[in-house]
Amino acid sequence: MSFNQDHLGIIQAKLSSGETASTCHEASLMQGCVCASRILALVEHEGEWALFIFISSRMPPEVFTDLAIERVIPIDNDFKCEIDAGEQSVDVYVNSRKLKLLFKMIPSIKTNNFVSEIMRSMEDLTKRRDPPPEFQWLHKYSGSSTSSRNKTDCESATTDITEDDASKEKMLDLDSPDIVVSRHSVAQGANPIAARENVIQHQMSLKENDYTYTQILRVFIGTWNVNGLPPTSSLTPWLASDMEPPDIYAVGFQELDLSKEAFLFNDTPREEEWRRSVIAALHPGANYKQVALVRLVGMMLILLVQEKHEKHVRNAAFETVGTGIMGKMGNKGGVAIRMEIHNTSMCFVNSHLAAHVEEFERRNQDYHDICSRLSFSKFSPPKVIDKHDQIYWLGDLNYRITEMEPRIVRDLISHNSLGALLECDQLNRQRSQKNVFSGYREGPITFKPTYKYDPGTDDWDSSEKNRAPAWCDRILWKGDGMDQKEYRSHPILRTSDHKPVSAMFESQVRVIDVVKYRRVHEEVLKKLDKLENEFLPQVTVDNTEIIFDVVRYLEAQSQELIIANTGQVPVQFGFIKKPDDSKFCKEWLNIDPAVSFIMPGEKCDVKLEVCVDKKSASKLNCGEDKLYDILVLHLEGGKDIFITVTGNYERSCFGSSIEALVHISVPVREISIGRLVELEKGEPPGGMEPYPIPKEIWFLVDHLYRHGLKKQNLFLLPGLNSELIAIRNWLDNGSSEPLPGSLHSIAEALLLLLESTAEPIVPFNLHSVCLGAASNYLQCKQIVMQELPEYRKNVFLYLCFFLQELLSHANENGLDAKTLATVFGGIFLRDPPRLSARGRGNLTAMDRKKASFVYHFLVNDLSDYVTSKVLHLGPTT
Amino acid sequence: MAKKTYDLLFKLLLIGDSGVGKTSILFRFSDDAFTSTFISTIGIDFKIKTVELRGKKIKLQIWDTAGQERFHTITTSYYRGAMGIMLVYDVTDERSFENIVKWLRNIDEHANEDVEKMILGNKCDIDGKRAVSKDRGDAIAREYGVPFLETSAKANTNIDKAFNDLATAILDKFAGKEPGDAPDRVMVDPRRGDTSRRSCC
Ligand SMILES: Nc1nc2c(ncn2[C@@H]2O[C@H](COP(=O)(O)OP(=O)(O)OP(=O)(O)O)[C@@H](O)[C@H]2O)c(=O)[nH]1
Ligand SMILES: [Mg+2]
Repeated sequence: MSFNQDHLGIIQAKLSSGETASTCHEASLMQGCVCASRILALVEHEGEWALFIFISSRMPPEVFTDLAIERVIPIDNDFKCEIDAGEQSVDVYVNSRKLKLLFKMIPSIKTNNFVSEIMRSMEDLTKRRDPPPEFQWLHKYSGSSTSSRNKTDCESATTDITEDDASKEKMLDLDSPDIVVSRHSVAQGANPIAARENVIQHQMSLKENDYTYTQILRVFIGTWNVNGLPPTSSLTPWLASDMEPPDIYAVGFQELDLSKEAFLFNDTPREEEWRRSVIAALHPGANYKQVALVRLVGMMLILLVQEKHEKHVRNAAFETVGTGIMGKMGNKGGVAIRMEIHNTSMCFVNSHLAAHVEEFERRNQDYHDICSRLSFSKFSPPKVIDKHDQIYWLGDLNYRITEMEPRIVRDLISHNSLGALLECDQLNRQRSQKNVFSGYREGPITFKPTYKYDPGTDDWDSSEKNRAPAWCDRILWKGDGMDQKEYRSHPILRTSDHKPVSAMFESQVRVIDVVKYRRVHEEVLKKLDKLENEFLPQVTVDNTEIIFDVVRYLEAQSQELIIANTGQVPVQFGFIKKPDDSKFCKEWLNIDPAVSFIMPGEKCDVKLEVCVDKKSASKLNCGEDKLYDILVLHLEGGKDIFITVTGNYERSCFGSSIEALVHISVPVREISIGRLVELEKGEPPGGMEPYPIPKEIWFLVDHLYRHGLKKQNLFLLPGLNSELIAIRNWLDNGSSEPLPGSLHSIAEALLLLLESTAEPIVPFNLHSVCLGAASNYLQCKQIVMQELPEYRKNVFLYLCFFLQELLSHANENGLDAKTLATVFGGIFLRDPPRLSARGRGNLTAMDRKKASFVYHFLVNDLSDYVTSKVLHLGPTT
Repeated sequence: MAKKTYDLLFKLLLIGDSGVGKTSILFRFSDDAFTSTFISTIGIDFKIKTVELRGKKIKLQIWDTAGQERFHTITTSYYRGAMGIMLVYDVTDERSFENIVKWLRNIDEHANEDVEKMILGNKCDIDGKRAVSKDRGDAIAREYGVPFLETSAKANTNIDKAFNDLATAILDKFAGKEPGDAPDRVMVDPRRGDTSRRSCC
């Protein structure tokens, strides 16, 4: 579904004045493994932004009252948003204080636009010069909650605007299933499998402590700008100066080769020379295996682990980024290697930032470029530096000591007054201004500046440039469980104009306990299953056997079925068709509502109304159908409940065929059901001489003939239902009282009697012949006289004769032949049940033909063939 | 790096006469619980449960049907789409056993042709009132070539095994039939998958 301007309008209507919804989008909020539909909107108020999360009672919303605000998250410094774009879904992780939410969106341009709008609003925040936003305008939302759902505690809706500890890990709080969900189908839903896998991974990562233990690894980090020179002495004093062998070595070089060839073709013999000398100088207390080596022009990084750790290293990868000439070339930039060791991810970055004393801003820029451009592309989505548990950043960062005469600098160094110098160190200053390396730490510097020396000596640069000494070569880190034990330079190595630097860390890595892992994994699966089962729609119905006692023609009866939502989630229910059925219930049954929606804890009364009318009576009368139906109540995404409806139908002359009625001399109720069914089946009647027409028709017509010839609008105005029922009783049961009911009711009863039969007076198979002949009286006459079954012909002629009588009183009753022909055309030539459901447009032409067929018999003299027998029959003959 | 382990969804169905213990079997499997009160199922309901088989996570969606005779024509319409069907009878109820043949015929008429079947003789914990010997169960199972187990939802006998066996049968068939989509290969590096295919052709 695509969200458009209308939806934005609906959302806007939900907001207060001064608040503007700039964009909105549909997303699925992951709760456990349950996917709940939400609408997200980005809302602005005087330059402050917030993310609004809406629940909608229908998708898409149609009016603003469909929406309830579930949460409002201010986009402040604590707001974090990470995007994980996959092929099937874009996962957006929203983090704010202790709240973690995962939204899944369908990949599309709209999704991209929406996500980038969020990013833009976050950028707005960083650009902001004013005091930090206060989000006063959101306070009014902190009480808002969705309607009708009872929250057990105050954790619910928007309390996270104020600090709220209870709202941590909301997204996957498996133990409190009373989270708000208006869910899509879970068990059969379209997306459960991939979504579920994500949730399992997420769950496992949250429970990491339960199946991992920490192990401390010694991580050696070294960096040296070798000024384009080959190795001249052993690196042992740098790499193996500690007692204990490190578990991991990450050794970085800069300016490995300053030649044009190296720069242009990125090819140098130095790589192998330096690699060998590193290998040769590793700590003799252990054996090492190279994990990876990466080089870009002069920057090289080599990562080694102790042999015993090798099998625990996974997903090693390296990348490079050039930030040199034209912002691209590899004379400056960074190289990086990442790996996972046990369950901890590590990233090592070796960078050589822009040179020159005054260029600290370029250096900052280089740092930011490396951060944004370096990503390990073999992963999907690509992993950036920041996405690692532990980051070690080393290199010739090139920050200098400024605002101090080189002479004074040297002086201070010689007096070992490093403190004053460190205050003038550009990196320290830039870091304290948060311009670079934010989130990184650096250990205290207790060693002399590592630049710039006369190569081969420990003397400061004596060239005419007379550079001030600087701590160009640095090691920083970011992440948890990293403890720097050593931070030092190694002046004894004199090959270069820089001195090498090294740091030793004791870093905690998380090691998986396989047995515990399996157990936790099983638990997670079990809990998710439990949750998923609990989140299936659940209802109880008060009765699955609806029994109607005696049901009579045209007398509607109803019973209530109470459906109570006893589950955790809103339920969409509906009665569904059984196979081979054309409708979800029989035609004598009416269900209201047949489809609806129930919120948890609420109920819905469904009215089941049984009414046997002209459409269903004949089938019930002849035993073709029974008052018995099994309804299938379907819960969307859940179970089906069968509801049985039964009743006893009391047979009536309404719905009986003309042929059966002429053989019954007593009121219909006085003969046995079996006999009636036999008659309907056309079994040979015994005993009585059949009437020429059913006595019931005679009673009705006779009454009208005697009392109604002058009545206006006969057959045109409807009768009263209560009178129709009284007439029915009179006909079915027999009575010595006069026929009850007004003339209009009696006229309608006559029509109903004719309409309730299985077949109309003119059998269906003659309809097309009749309509074809409609313009020709003689043909019509011939059909009636020769084709109509005997008793129906009698009824036809009898009624036409009566109608002519009516028309002879047209002066008083105002009737005309055309009108009556139209009414009786539809009755004598009633369409088969299927056809009458079709579009009306076609039928008008047919209706006209039917009317003209009947018309002939209303205006032509019928006395030739209306015998006295027909006209003068009565129940006593 | 394989980002996602592959997951499978199997739809299973429980059928059999009313009162044989279909709902109890499912309740035991999904919630590890049992109640002796009999509430006949009036409709059709399902539960989900994830199992791990051959290193794969498989989500079972298990449908429990109403066994009452009057619902039979309706319940058969739910057979289609089921990948596995459990026919349950009650070892203390001769008639429910005799009806197994009728249920098998129903499956032939209404279920997918390749559906995996399994016959369960439930309530094997009741020894006193046993009406159908295990041998007779075995015999009919052999006759129709359908795996057979005696189970007890009450004593938790063979319940997990029944579902695991049925799911494994589906998994194996799945794996055997379409080598390209076989669950076994799903996690394999596509390049390696290629070479192995090339070498075998
Ligand atoms: N002793 C014993 N009783 C069982 C066992 N399984 C089920 N029962 C009992 O048998 C009765 C019927 O069990 P249900 O599981 O409701 O039967 P069903 O097959 O679902 O029946 P319908 O829903 O009508 O089709 C209940 O009273 C159960 O407690 C069993 O393994 N041993
Ligand atoms: Mg049941």
